[in-house]
Amino acid sequence: MQKHTISAIICLAGALVAAAIAGASFLAMRKPDLIVRGPGVTDVKMLSDWFPGLKGTPGDTEVYILKGADDGASMLVLGGTHPNEPAGHIAAIMLIENAQPKSGTLYVIPRANASGFTANDPQEGAPQSFTIQTPNGPRVFRYGSRATNPIHQWPDPNVYIHASSGQTLSGSETRNLNRGYPGRPDGTLTERVCYGIVQLIKKENVTITVDLHEASPEYPVINAIVAHPKAMQLASDMVLGLEMQDIKISLEPSPVNLRGLTHRELGDFTDTLPVLMETANASQGRLRGRTDEALVLTGKDKWYVRAEKLGRLYVPYDEKGHPLEERVGRHVTAISELMNSWNLEHPEKPLEFEGLPGYEDFLTKGIGVFLLPLPAKN
Amino acid sequence: MFYIYLAILAIVLALTVWVLFDTKKLSLQVTAAMVIVPLLLRLLMIK
Ligand SMILES: [Zn+2]
Repeated sequence: MQKHTISAIICLAGALVAAAIAGASFLAMRKPDLIVRGPGVTDVKMLSDWFPGLKGTPGDTEVYILKGADDGASMLVLGGTHPNEPAGHIAAIMLIENAQPKSGTLYVIPRANASGFTANDPQEGAPQSFTIQTPNGPRVFRYGSRATNPIHQWPDPNVYIHASSGQTLSGSETRNLNRGYPGRPDGTLTERVCYGIVQLIKKENVTITVDLHEASPEYPVINAIVAHPKAMQLASDMVLGLEMQDIKISLEPSPVNLRGLTHRELGDFTDTLPVLMETANASQGRLRGRTDEALVLTGKDKWYVRAEKLGRLYVPYDEKGHPLEERVGRHVTAISELMNSWNLEHPEKPLEFEGLPGYEDFLTKGIGVFLLPLPAKN
Repeated sequence: MFYIYLAILAIVLALTVWVLFDTKKLSLQVTAAMVIVPLLLRLLMIK
């Protein structure tokens, strides 16, 4: 055998080994995190139960239902619309594992874009997962991609045309769940997930829909609630409720000409009152330094401290960062306040849930104590 | 469309493997080996 043939075989073997190691690591990301059914969970369904077109696809996702003994209003909480925004995802899990319904029904979708949890964004250097320590041992959660996994929806068009408005965006936005509403039953996987969520809202007559997000500290809409005009009264009551607890949050009206987002399309196409909330996540920001699990968990980043001093940010930023417990605490407290605001105006049709930790609980005790132990492996 | 992309990908992968065995330059062989990794992962729809 010639010398160059031998070296070619060695190189090919090296490539196959590298592909096998990388492939195993990528495939491991497709296994969803374990979420524990809390004491208030009365049923777990799949989104395909409302839209069978999702059955068997990587877009199908769990819907946790917490139904109270008394009738009341209903709320849908979307976590993981963008799987690189961990506070939204973890806040949804907090509801599933802690909330105990009295009146009304809570629907929680912790992985709204389930496909996005199976991959990372390329060239971001983001961790594949992060670990939260609990009294019962560590719990691991995936840090995913902002968008649907290209393996599940590929190739992207050059220009993404939003179906119902004709709005054009860059091609990769075709995989952004929060640009695809109200969705189409025969559209892309992302549009079908949007369509499934809209079907759930319509069929269950969901009163309020909350879409949980995070944003880069340099993004203007941050520590904010964005509300559809129909939900403006509810949202402004909630802002007052948070102010009473010294939690600053700004209220933004949903822009009329920004299409495909929950706070716009769910209000236009269904009877629900939609709001979207943002907290400050340095690990998705453009000014960040080292991107690792610690950044996801603590938000501590010297470059953001510097950017703050230069007046480039829309949130206060110091050496203490914005830890995950603060961000999750904001989301969970805001959801409690939304319920309170609703109940003030609609005492005949209340939304009453117990067991939700308050903002101070998160700041003083952390997140881990509110995560349930995983079932023993057998 | 999806299958056209996969076919193009398979052709590029085959050509890369062909270059790997055809060339006598070690640096080109190593380069070809590195190119094979992402092509293979996409052809198998892993990444
Ligand atoms: Zn987001």
